[in-house]
Amino acid sequence: MENQQYDQSFPVDKGYLIRKKIYNNLAFLFAIGAFLIGAFPVFHIIYKAIAIGYKYLNWNFISTLPTGFPIGAEGGILNAIIGDVYLVVIASVLAIPLGIGTGLYLSLFGKKRTNYFLRLLNELMIGIPSIVWGIVGFYIFSTNAGFGFHLGFSALAGGLTLGFIMTPIVVLLTEQAVNQIPASYIEGALALGATKFQATKSVILKAALGGIFIGILLGVMNIIGQTAPLLFTNYYNTGLPTGVTGPGGAVGDMAMLIFIYIHEPSRILHYKAEAASVVLLLFIFLLDLGLRLINYLVKKFIL
Amino acid sequence: MFNLKYKDDLFKFILSVFVFAVVVIFLIAVIVIIYYSYPSISRYGITFLWKKEWNPPAEIFGALTFLAGTFLVTFLALIFAVPLSLGTGIFLQEYCPLFLKGIFTVIIEMLAGIPSVVFGVWGVLTVVPWIRESVEPFFSRHFSGVPFLKVEENIGYGVLAASIIVAFMILPIIASITKDSLSSVPKLAKDGALAMGATKLDVIKDVSMPYALNGIYGGIILGFGRAIGETIATVLLIGNQAIIPKSLFSVGYTISSMLANTFTFAVISPIYASAEVELALILLLISLIVNIVGRNILNRVIGGRFSRSQFGGG
Repeated sequence: MENQQYDQSFPVDKGYLIRKKIYNNLAFLFAIGAFLIGAFPVFHIIYKAIAIGYKYLNWNFISTLPTGFPIGAEGGILNAIIGDVYLVVIASVLAIPLGIGTGLYLSLFGKKRTNYFLRLLNELMIGIPSIVWGIVGFYIFSTNAGFGFHLGFSALAGGLTLGFIMTPIVVLLTEQAVNQIPASYIEGALALGATKFQATKSVILKAALGGIFIGILLGVMNIIGQTAPLLFTNYYNTGLPTGVTGPGGAVGDMAMLIFIYIHEPSRILHYKAEAASVVLLLFIFLLDLGLRLINYLVKKFIL
Repeated sequence: MFNLKYKDDLFKFILSVFVFAVVVIFLIAVIVIIYYSYPSISRYGITFLWKKEWNPPAEIFGALTFLAGTFLVTFLALIFAVPLSLGTGIFLQEYCPLFLKGIFTVIIEMLAGIPSVVFGVWGVLTVVPWIRESVEPFFSRHFSGVPFLKVEENIGYGVLAASIIVAFMILPIIASITKDSLSSVPKLAKDGALAMGATKLDVIKDVSMPYALNGIYGGIILGFGRAIGETIATVLLIGNQAIIPKSLFSVGYTISSMLANTFTFAVISPIYASAEVELALILLLISLIVNIVGRNILNRVIGGRFSRSQFGGG
């Protein structure tokens, strides 16, 4: 009886403890393995794009229009870069005022119930597949029969459709940015007799500017990689646009260019698609870097 | 005083106009899709969903082929992505040393930022040759008798290639939500379990996961919503043939790739266009339902915080 060290009901078997240890280590291996597999494409996509596309990556590639046969075999992707500027500017003109306005309303005037529905609405808009936005954009802007604006396949139609996609992102990030401001800032302004407009103008917008800017950059980052909505609203132009509506109004677009080049049965165009992916990824990662920098500065100096 | 009050009302009114515009954009999107799909809905009725034949010249339309392709790709992608993203989220939150956590999280967020067309190009130039040269010969040697793993044509394109790429696209969504949900587990509960002699695995399995499970379900639902509407990568990889895929390696067609390929030709004939818009309506309804459910769960669990990975490049 004295030798009995453990309660008999407690399983003290060496095998059990060893098994536990092994399972524990296996779980760790599984987790790190999953992470490595998840992180692998990031590096492999960048590596592959550079390895295949490097011989086309020079100043000529981003400063000349595509020429040759099939079109794009010679020359560069200037049309796509210019076109992306058109699309981003048009989308921003729609999305930034709408997004900031709605985001401010949500955080300044919203009652609980309206807030719930508005936020859900914007989350649903983010969830709508981009191809569905493309069809909506086609029937609102591009179609030349029935209702709609009859803009044809043009930069304006494509840009506004992208603006629809960008708006909810700016809304939600603006609301989040305003909600991040310490309540005492706003209450202080209101206590001094400022109206909500004055408080917004002189306190809220200044303190939330970084956060709002993050929202805008995230929206731009999102729409710069969109292809599906442009299929039915803008498609593609190998030259420079002559306007923003009607015939000649279509612009090139980076994502669209890659999509079209990879469809062509031509090795050179496949390589150029990879080279263009490098440029697109560079844009996106630069935006990402800017975003993180702003986030850091906001955390450090404003909040 | 009147002046100031008046100014504030004006401010509120201007903001309300913006809110109204956003609501109108959403309603217009829904109304346009319903309006233009109405001719097809009234002509083909509910049988549209399970008829197999898609024959535009004869004006016979049935969506079954595309529904089957869409759901097969989505579920395969989820089967690949869920274990990987749970592992990734657990690794980032529980195992990762603190000085590496930031940079590793950035890597997973970068995955979310890569546009789907770039994923598609990577798939065409890397994943498809890999499947063609290694995976399919292996399976046709060893598993030729198994019904779902039969290799019909050794071309590399098909359901498997598409679902691998879609899995990588939804991985960051589920992983980051898993990580956020795990980070909301109270430290006291975990420390208590550790003090009782539990191993790290026990803590994750019995303390953290039950606590975080609701949020993880929300993440998986959102990942489902993202996968079902994925267009460009599937267009490039699935092979685009209107047959119901019978094996992992056969080609197929999804709703979104169908729309991307044929919608511009379809608008010539009103009923053809209407049938295509009805396909879009199916996508829209699924995405709305999925997002309402997923967001409600997430808002309850992690308070509607937005992680970066939820806005990928579509």
